[in-house]
Amino acid sequence: MAIFDEELKALKEKVLKLGSMVEAAIRDSVNSLVERNSDLASGVIEKDHQINALEVGIDEECVRLIALRQPMARDLRFLTIAMKITTDLEQMGDLAVNIAERAIELNEEPLLKPYKNIPKMAEITQKMVRDSLDAFVRGCSTLPYEVIKRDDEVDDLTVKNFNELVALMIQDPKIVTVAVKRTYVAKYLERIADHATNIAEMVIYMYKGKIIRHVESPEEA
Amino acid sequence: MTIFDEELGALRERVLKIGSLVEMAIRDSVKSLVERDSDLARKVIERDHRINALDVEIDEECTRLIALRQPKAKDLRFITTAMKITTDLERMGDLAEDIAERAIELNEEPQLKPYIDIPRMAEITEEMVRESLDAFVRGCSKMPYEVIKRDDEVDNLNAQVFNELLFYMIQDPNTVPRATRISYVSKYLERIADHATNIAEMVIYMCEGKIIRHMKIPEEE
Repeated sequence: MAIFDEELKALKEKVLKLGSMVEAAIRDSVNSLVERNSDLASGVIEKDHQINALEVGIDEECVRLIALRQPMARDLRFLTIAMKITTDLEQMGDLAVNIAERAIELNEEPLLKPYKNIPKMAEITQKMVRDSLDAFVRGCSTLPYEVIKRDDEVDDLTVKNFNELVALMIQDPKIVTVAVKRTYVAKYLERIADHATNIAEMVIYMYKGKIIRHVESPEEA
Repeated sequence: MTIFDEELGALRERVLKIGSLVEMAIRDSVKSLVERDSDLARKVIERDHRINALDVEIDEECTRLIALRQPKAKDLRFITTAMKITTDLERMGDLAEDIAERAIELNEEPQLKPYIDIPRMAEITEEMVRESLDAFVRGCSKMPYEVIKRDDEVDNLNAQVFNELLFYMIQDPNTVPRATRISYVSKYLERIADHATNIAEMVIYMCEGKIIRHMKIPEEE
């Protein structure tokens, strides 16, 4: 059992590792846009395979632990949720790649106006990722509820950003290509925040222990 | 073992059920846009909770089966893959809901242009969902490589839609809010196709049995 505890601990480390790689990808992709640094954007795109590889690695480890250790109740739920969370994290990585791609395109055009909403969204989103994973590995506190609340802030900023850009587009149709790409970046961040919200919801669900009721008696059903 | 076989059969049915609900949501959301039928769009939004409920049910059932039946190798991978697949399906449902929301907004404005590429994208996407799930439940008799290939078609259509809309926006800035919304619908469909591609990739991964090699289970072959 001590081995299993160590294995679970190592798994938690891996999930946090994946989370910090995703956070770095979000941060760097938005920095590459704000600082107009396309090399940094290329770096985000190149490093995405590391996120993909770690996702697969964690999934394999979860299946191995389920098969080998035959965990019950809480540990089993932890492992199955870990497998679901990695999907969200991997998709956040893909979205950071999308941001980096748009950044490379946008960096080739003159700057429309300074980025204000997008860095703010990126900041909130990174914290949402960190807090949702913290709640997952350390146990459910108020954190996942805060993550869910902050999703509204990100949604509001997406709408604000969209409206500002539409106003500019109507004034000057020549900027449409650039402005639409900027609305995409905001959308990508909004979706990253949605993924963090999904993780937070799963964590709440996991610690509420609904599933436990069904596995109480092995002879049941 | 027969009970377990029946349970696995029932699980397959449920995965197909959620798949058909998702297909219907995609079809109806796009139909509500093309036929300017906002009542249908509202139905898609109302029905989304059924998809969410079935997602949770499938997850609970998978966890119950793992705990109770302690499946090995092929069955275990099938069940863990099912849990990951439902996440993608549930997200597709959310995206169909997003399409329905945009449809309601767009239906209040005069129609910008006839919808040609979007219904085509919806058609391909529905097929991708169906084929990826078919491959999953049929247990590796048919590999969903076609699904992955078709994702490129959807990507190309999305780019085509976007370019066409840019043309409209540049010509007449008054079209910007509508055109941007239509471009979002196209993006949502592209993301649904991405989720179907994820499922196809997971099915191939499951069938190729890579995970089995890493398992050090004594009674395994």
